[in-house]
Amino acid sequence: MDNMLEMYLYETNTLLEQLDELLIEAEKNEDFTTNDVNEIFRIMHTIKGSSAMMEFSTLMEIAHHIEDLFFYIRENGLDAMDKSHKSDLFNLMFQSTDMLRKEVEKLENNEPLSNNIDSVITDINSFLEKISGKGASAAGSSASAPSADTASDTVSGSTSGPDFLPQGDYPQYIKVMFEDGCGMENLRAFMLVTALHDMDVPFVCYPADVESSSDTIDFIQEHGFYICPATAEAVDAAVAIIKENNNVETVEVFEHQKAPEQAPATQTASAETVHKQASASPAAGSPAPAASASSAPAKQSLISVSLSKLDSLMAIVGEIVITESMVTSSPEIQNLKLDSFLKSTRQLRKLTDDLQDIAMSLRMVPVSGTFQKMNRIVRDMKKKLNKDVRLTIEGENTEVDKSIVDSISDPIMHIVRNSMDHGIEPTTEERIAAGKPAQAEIILSATHTGSEVIISVKDDGRGMDTSKILQKAERNGLLTKPSTEYSQKEILSLLMLPGFSTNEEVTEFSGRGVGMDVVKKNVESVGGVISITSELGKGSCTTLKIPLTLAIVDGMEISVGDSIFTIPIANIRQSFKASKESIILDASGNEIIKCMDEFYPIVRIHNLYNIETEITNIEDGILIWVESSDKSYCLFVDELLGEQQVVVKPLPAYLSNFNIKDSGISGCTILGDGNISIILDILNLYLVSQNQY
Amino acid sequence: MSTANTEIDSTVDFPVSTERFLTFMSDGLTIGISTNYVTEIITNHAITMIPLVPGYVKGIINLRGQIIPIIDIRLRMGKASIDYTDVTCIIVLNINDTNLGIIVDSVQQVVDIDKAQISAVPTESHQELINGMISLSEHSVLLFLDHEQLAKTIF
Repeated sequence: MDNMLEMYLYETNTLLEQLDELLIEAEKNEDFTTNDVNEIFRIMHTIKGSSAMMEFSTLMEIAHHIEDLFFYIRENGLDAMDKSHKSDLFNLMFQSTDMLRKEVEKLENNEPLSNNIDSVITDINSFLEKISGKGASAAGSSASAPSADTASDTVSGSTSGPDFLPQGDYPQYIKVMFEDGCGMENLRAFMLVTALHDMDVPFVCYPADVESSSDTIDFIQEHGFYICPATAEAVDAAVAIIKENNNVETVEVFEHQKAPEQAPATQTASAETVHKQASASPAAGSPAPAASASSAPAKQSLISVSLSKLDSLMAIVGEIVITESMVTSSPEIQNLKLDSFLKSTRQLRKLTDDLQDIAMSLRMVPVSGTFQKMNRIVRDMKKKLNKDVRLTIEGENTEVDKSIVDSISDPIMHIVRNSMDHGIEPTTEERIAAGKPAQAEIILSATHTGSEVIISVKDDGRGMDTSKILQKAERNGLLTKPSTEYSQKEILSLLMLPGFSTNEEVTEFSGRGVGMDVVKKNVESVGGVISITSELGKGSCTTLKIPLTLAIVDGMEISVGDSIFTIPIANIRQSFKASKESIILDASGNEIIKCMDEFYPIVRIHNLYNIETEITNIEDGILIWVESSDKSYCLFVDELLGEQQVVVKPLPAYLSNFNIKDSGISGCTILGDGNISIILDILNLYLVSQNQY
Repeated sequence: MSTANTEIDSTVDFPVSTERFLTFMSDGLTIGISTNYVTEIITNHAITMIPLVPGYVKGIINLRGQIIPIIDIRLRMGKASIDYTDVTCIIVLNINDTNLGIIVDSVQQVVDIDKAQISAVPTESHQELINGMISLSEHSVLLFLDHEQLAKTIF
């Protein structure tokens, strides 16, 4: 059951994402193409079908009504709608997909589905009435619940739509209706089919593909399941068998030959309904094969795997990499000359490297999903704020580790909102007066550079007024030195301090006081760096530098006393020997050294971590100049042991009780000889050292 | 160890409330912990120290690719530490999915204890990590380690 739910969530989420992209694209063109309409119809149909199977009636209802709406649109053509209708339709669609998404989220969080969906459904229905005009409104509303209204009056025949019944010579056919809401009608129908087969009753049935296609559910729910036994005797036998089955509500037997003759009589009575029915029944049946035909070739080469499996794969690959170097660098064979062994180990190393690359690439997903969401945010805010903004997306196929994609989604969203809300000028006139094009532009881009992904959000709005920022920071007591001494870069980094918000008013979208500092924290939690550049009047640009993966880092092994530490290579700028004379003491006795015309504090790891070591003289050890985010300083260590690619392992949960994360340690790794090396978190390490002195 | 257990099980019929306890020595006390929580006993393992944690947390070890934190039970109970010798052992425990290694002076044996016989610790001699005691023969007393308390951390 869990597995089914997972599949359901995956499928529904994918469909909703598709739908969102489609709607955004369509809205840009201000029109739906016939393809779009068919696609939406298909998506809604699938959601409806699978929701019904899972017995999520809320989702099913909404999808059902949207499906009806698009059915109408498809039948009547898009030209029947005028422009205002179309924009209404876009809003309605966004609103209802939001509703669907909210419900799916509830499922994911194990919350009960909301029962109050009447407003959405009323909206959809009233829109349908509007576009179909007053006259057709009755038909429109009856289309949503056709079988319930009509089935009882026309028991003897025509609504069953004999035209879809299998061709052939049989005297009677049986219509089976299942109980309302019993779920999985197709499987129940299939059970009937098997039962009849077991009894050797020759027959044909419609829909025929109940076992394989879950899309038949809707048809069976609405129109019933049809069984056409070959002989009159078989009919009686079949009816007896069917009645033994659970959840069967009604079993009706109809004369096959008579049906067409009876039809005209009832048709006159409810001509409109019949027309609806006739066209609705193939519609309900046909999209399924069409859909599976179109999506099958694309889907076959893709499988979905749960993230936890990938995680354990990564863990095992990590172990193999470590074990490989344990074997090849085993001290027992160090001084032996083993030609063929060396050859094999080289081969093994190459293979493990390949294996590692492939395992890593499995976790890589394009950022396009996250970027596409921004489309939606820009669209919504555009409407609310009445600003004309265009979102340009570049490099959306850039791939990043799945866990990183998840954690940067919120920061990017926040930055985009900030740009929309504060960055872009409030009126078009202001833009034109500043000599800019009337339509503002936000560029969201992603690029690869070696081991990092750079994501930037750039707008061509007002830019940031540094003097205002400075004033505000001063008012909030965030300045640590005289305001005249702040450089442009430093002023902009003030924005990311906790408790800073440039906008006086709190708006719906941004500026709740939990602004950029949270963004910064999120980005740093995945090992990223955030920076802001801005030019007054020209616009601003926020850049995120994110490592491609968290699982494996290039590290420099260093030793302090008996302990071994790993410093991520990405944080190291330089390592050098220092002479005693170059060390300067500041007022409180802290050591400072000058590199490249700037002064940097020295952090002695052996002092910080209370490690006994013989190397305490600054000239005996080595200094490593490290940098992380906006912190730059020098670490004093005993010696460098060498560079190594290491697999990051989290520290045991027991230790996190001691706030181990805040003591400058990000994790640990197992070295080739089985020893453990502790990976240092350069940014936190500095904060720890500041607190200690 | 498990094969030995099944042998005993098949020959002797124990009361339902009987549980197996691994007993170990720490600072002259005999302490027992239910074998349900014991994963294995290891000796002579290199411990990697972790900075900026309370003294009783000796560090972490690499046990076949798993990282396991190690605490010294003497220091945890507020006793003086001693140098580790050949008989010093690490008992690896799994308490509610928390892996934890405890350093003890020496491991003694596995005994079957009728849980109904365990009495509470008198308040005047109350110890933080002990939640019960039982007197065995030969004037010896067995104390029981409070595994829940052990898995929690206090500063």
